[in-house]
Amino acid sequence: MFAQDYYDFHQGLAKQGIILSFTGYVSEGILFALGDALRQKMALDEADANVTKRVFSVFVEQVQNIIRYSAERVEGNLGKRVELSSGTITVGREGERFFVVCGNVVRQEDALAMRERLSALAAMSREELKLHYKEKLKEPPEGRSRGASLGLIEIARRASSPIQFDFIDIDDAAAFFCLKAYI
Amino acid sequence: MEKILRKATERTPYTAFDPDAHRLVLQGESYPEDAAAFFGPLQQALRDYVAGLGDAPFVVDLELNYFNSSSAKALMNMFMLLEQAAAAGRDIRINWRYHPDDDTMEEFGQDFAEDFHHATFTLCPSLDD
Repeated sequence: MFAQDYYDFHQGLAKQGIILSFTGYVSEGILFALGDALRQKMALDEADANVTKRVFSVFVEQVQNIIRYSAERVEGNLGKRVELSSGTITVGREGERFFVVCGNVVRQEDALAMRERLSALAAMSREELKLHYKEKLKEPPEGRSRGASLGLIEIARRASSPIQFDFIDIDDAAAFFCLKAYI
Repeated sequence: MEKILRKATERTPYTAFDPDAHRLVLQGESYPEDAAAFFGPLQQALRDYVAGLGDAPFVVDLELNYFNSSSAKALMNMFMLLEQAAAAGRDIRINWRYHPDDDTMEEFGQDFAEDFHHATFTLCPSLDD
């Protein structure tokens, strides 16, 4: 009985061209393992090496965004420092294009600034993105953000069309944030 | 000054900084869990080194095939330090090595090159790897 449920789940993802999808607590170890599998799969499929590199780059920045900014997180010391953040990461193929989508819970108070930042990035030309990226590279590190804006610019630069983003309200305190980039 | 020698790992580049030979080499991929922790000691060593650098040319060979945005920030930080030293009269030569088919690394090289006016930053597409 439950095989049917999971087969439907599996087929549902396959129909959308999903190459890999992970939902749950993400760590740097998971980032590495999934990223490695992604590159191997793309190499076996004989995807263009430059495209593979861009997909991988967007994947790394998106997962690191979840790790650093998801509002659902646990951290502690288990002999070494452990940081786990909850989110969803999906890589798939739509015709000739690849896409990478990440989703995670953010605090409502952060959502507005994120929207503004992402709208600005989505409207920038390649040249503007490049200049903005270099400007951010030269800035001293931001206090709390650990370089988020730089990762988002990198995603926008590697994408072949403007990045897409969306938010839905969960409650007064939290929203679900989603970012999609086509390569 | 002490040398820095680190083997490449799956997420960090081979790193060889030899102050006596006036050479720095970074080779491989760079997306460390904590870029500040990985690059911090190298940045500090470079800062100390260029402060005492005389007339000898300092040669930096960078052959990275992938780096994430946190590593890019660390690279830029090192580049600004080297450009400042070059502006103060030091002979600094940076070779940006990449596979000629690698569009991303070529573009990064071109972008970084724009910021050097005193240090010599050379794009070196090469087939050997």
